[in-house]
Amino acid sequence: MSTPKPPKGYFNILYFASAGSFTSKNVEALPAPLPLSKLFATLEERYKGIKESVLDNSLVTINLTYVDLPEGEEDDASGEGPVIIQEGDEVAIIPPVSSG
Amino acid sequence: MEAPGATEGLGEGGAGGGGEAGADFGACRDEEFERYSRQMIVPGVGREGQLRLIYSRILIIGAGGLGCPAAQYVAGAGVGTIGIVDGDVVEMSNLHRQVGHATSRLGMKKVDSLISHLRDINPLPAYVPYTFPVTPENAADIISGYDLVMDCTDNPTTRYLISDVCVLLCKPLVSAASVQKSGQLIVLNCPPTPQGRVDGKYAPCYRCCFKKPPPPSSMVSCGEAGIMGPVVGLMGVAQAGEAIKILISSLHLPQPSPPPSFPPLADQNLIQPTLLIYTYDLSSAIGPYSFRPLKMSPRKKTCFACGENSPSTLTLEGIKSGTPNYEQFCALPVPKHTLPSEERISARVFHDMREKGEIGRHVLIDTREKEHFSFGSIEGAVNVPFGRLLMRAAEVKRDGGDESGMLPGVVDGDAPIFVVCRRGLDSQEAVEKLKELGVDKGGRRRIMDIAGGMNAWKEEVDPSFPFV
Repeated sequence: MSTPKPPKGYFNILYFASAGSFTSKNVEALPAPLPLSKLFATLEERYKGIKESVLDNSLVTINLTYVDLPEGEEDDASGEGPVIIQEGDEVAIIPPVSSG
Repeated sequence: MEAPGATEGLGEGGAGGGGEAGADFGACRDEEFERYSRQMIVPGVGREGQLRLIYSRILIIGAGGLGCPAAQYVAGAGVGTIGIVDGDVVEMSNLHRQVGHATSRLGMKKVDSLISHLRDINPLPAYVPYTFPVTPENAADIISGYDLVMDCTDNPTTRYLISDVCVLLCKPLVSAASVQKSGQLIVLNCPPTPQGRVDGKYAPCYRCCFKKPPPPSSMVSCGEAGIMGPVVGLMGVAQAGEAIKILISSLHLPQPSPPPSFPPLADQNLIQPTLLIYTYDLSSAIGPYSFRPLKMSPRKKTCFACGENSPSTLTLEGIKSGTPNYEQFCALPVPKHTLPSEERISARVFHDMREKGEIGRHVLIDTREKEHFSFGSIEGAVNVPFGRLLMRAAEVKRDGGDESGMLPGVVDGDAPIFVVCRRGLDSQEAVEKLKELGVDKGGRRRIMDIAGGMNAWKEEVDPSFPFV
């Protein structure tokens, strides 16, 4: 997967494994900035059903670093306020894979 | 196939962890020096590192696409005791990737087949066969005899089980997985820290990373989605690399259970937990592959298996007696698709009616992936892969279009529609989707599922059909 730079005002989102099959894409650019808390809703709007069958079990990274999703409960991230996905960021959706 | 006996010449034991490289680490025998010399001269290994390997015990769970390459390098490197767990037998469709087996050993237990291959590579280690699957009842008994565990299994149920037991027994876990064109690798629980300890940064377990299993409907196995040999092979080899590194550096030794006042470990004792994602793209010549090392978080306070309150939720006794229930945990809500019988037709009946001309003009949609379709299909079938069908349905819905926008040229007109897939699940969902969008014209047009898919077609109609 070679990733082109996102256009100005966008961030890249990578879809791995079942996220890729669900969206039929490896990567796409979405408008930035976007609060992390809105990410799943944004994707659900584009790909109906993706939240339940993929996103809820996936881990999410921003710029190669794991991020905790603000689910209301555990915000142990150190209380630096809400995470905002910025222009040029690379977000990845990584569902668990278990075959071998 | 008896366990011990292969480490003669190196003094006693090899029985794992406890004894640091020390005292009577006898000299390597000539054969060992010669055999391991090329890795012993690598900076960081040396004679001491080699002896640590020789005195270590690794458990490899799964003797398939990951386990075979992993075991080859673990055995080659001279790990003293190698346990291998798997209940399956060698099948023809394994051989393109499971390089520890052979055409001449089809039908043999995978564990026995792999061990015979490993003995050929290196007869010195003690190989311990477990020719049955790992279960909640036997997991702790097996795992407790080893220093490090490699998860080379192929389903979520055992992944959670193995991780949980490794947490409870303080064993590091090198976990990999792979399907189709991508793989994942992560070192978990290393260095091992007692369950429930959260006063510093400690290594995560599998549940810290993947809290919930994916719904079974979205899980794809190598049998269904396919797998490229080099992709899974690479992950298995990388797994062996991590395991060898951990043993040589003695990172597998459990942190001693500290008194309550014991100061938290310094952060540098945490290896940055990293999830490596490998992607191999058949369709792009520009970016043929990518490796992405993803920084993961340390142990989670709220983790069910290793977090603050975990000692009250997860115990070895509990696991043995069925709590948690792994099967249930991994098989939660399956949207069960069973259409009413009037919307289904058996492959046999469909075939016979068609032959007799009783069906008349109709549309036959095959929702398998195009690679499956390319092996063969029912005459006249149109290939609309399930994913594409869902996408189209979502698009039509979103744009407020009507059914005429759905698969133009395929479902126009009034002729009845029959849908077939691989095993008869997707096709039922496809029937529902088409109806939802009004393709059935309010019930005036029949849309039917061919029950059991092409699998049933092979069984009931055409035994020579090349079903994959």
